[in-house]
Amino acid sequence: MWIDRFQPILKSSLLLFFLGILRLAHAAPTDDALAALHSSTDEVLSVAYGGHGTENLAARVRPLLEKSFAFDIVTRQAMGPGWRQFSAADQKRVTDLFTELVIRTYSSRVVGTQRPKIVYGQPVELAPDRREIPTRVTTSTDSQPISVVYRMVKLPTGWHTYDVLIEGVSFIANYRAQFDGIIQNGGAPAVIRTLEAKLAALGDSHS
Amino acid sequence: MNLSIFSFLALLLCLSGCAATGKQSAAQPVHSTAPAVGEDFSDVPVQQVDDPFLKLNRTVFGMNDNFNNWAIRPLAHGYAAVVPLPVRTSITNFFDNLQFPVRFVNSVLQGKLVRSAQETGKFVVNSTAGVGGLFRVSDHVRSLADVPASDFGQTLGVWGIRPGPYLVLPLLGPSDCRDLIGLAGDYVISPLDWHTLGFIHCAYISNATSIALGATRFVNGLPKAIDTYDQLKSGAVDPYVAIRDAYLSNRAAQVKK
Repeated sequence: MWIDRFQPILKSSLLLFFLGILRLAHAAPTDDALAALHSSTDEVLSVAYGGHGTENLAARVRPLLEKSFAFDIVTRQAMGPGWRQFSAADQKRVTDLFTELVIRTYSSRVVGTQRPKIVYGQPVELAPDRREIPTRVTTSTDSQPISVVYRMVKLPTGWHTYDVLIEGVSFIANYRAQFDGIIQNGGAPAVIRTLEAKLAALGDSHS
Repeated sequence: MNLSIFSFLALLLCLSGCAATGKQSAAQPVHSTAPAVGEDFSDVPVQQVDDPFLKLNRTVFGMNDNFNNWAIRPLAHGYAAVVPLPVRTSITNFFDNLQFPVRFVNSVLQGKLVRSAQETGKFVVNSTAGVGGLFRVSDHVRSLADVPASDFGQTLGVWGIRPGPYLVLPLLGPSDCRDLIGLAGDYVISPLDWHTLGFIHCAYISNATSIALGATRFVNGLPKAIDTYDQLKSGAVDPYVAIRDAYLSNRAAQVKK
């Protein structure tokens, strides 16, 4: 079945977006970006797999995710060049809705009780303020490790994740492809309507 | 299935698609001068899309989605309720192990001799210590634990053949012209199809047995497949585009491995 080829990106469940550490490739991270990724993912996984179940998980992980992810950059990049045509109010509204979508969708993907295992590779410098950190992730349901690459940016508040590539699939590029047509056809109002409808649908399906 | 007709149809589709003018995505990266942090939109690996059959593809996608909702999902959930996960995993391992020739031949065709040796090692270890492939003992051998799977679609990509137009196949889902031909190639190499194709004649394997094996493999893979599909869809604002981008990006990454 075609989707067999997709098994690796099943993990494109954004659970991987929030992944943590169980086992490290190195005794201690020597790179600031790597250290930040270690720390933030460990915090998130400690909450997700802390034995408190998945009830209200989105609310519990939200502060941690907002600290470790540059959601304003994630949103801007996911919208693409059309973002520049949005008003400041629309940009704020889209950022809030998109952040909500990401957190709610993917915090609902925490399944099982076993934390994924992550082996970190060496960070690659994309620019002085950008790093790409390759990892191999093994979950309890998949014996084959998954390639997950974190892209991080250095802001005044420290290193933050702004994209995740799972088996070659970029999170923000995937959303940009989806929003491209919506922005072309209806601009910011269409994006806002789409996100509101999606969140409402998620709320219905979870209730 | 008549494979020559299958391949010809694929080729025809490719040629017609190549002649068609695909709509260029507006999501192409743009270059701006002195971008602020996060304003450099060229920093994103946007997938090039060739989708001249967009309307037809969306229609087939919708039909497949309905089929998943009304037939595949109930079947998958029913099967998962009856067959426990460890058993399903062992069945998956068994069939994966049988697919060794597909991975081996394609590794060789791609010139990846180390990988083909690793595949051979995996097959020997899993067939013996893994009790006929039911257990993936090779995962506990460092050099065999993480070997990317090879298929004929990838092989064609490594040889420089472009993916061609994106296709959504009835029941089979996303593909492209290159992978459609790759599917036919892998069908011939897979031992599971040798009896159907008449390559082997074994008194102990009847047509019914051959069909039963194929059906078992298909149904056993459904619970995970439908779970994957649901997860891909759940966070998407446009599921068709989300799955198209994920498929094309993932396949492009596999060709580069």
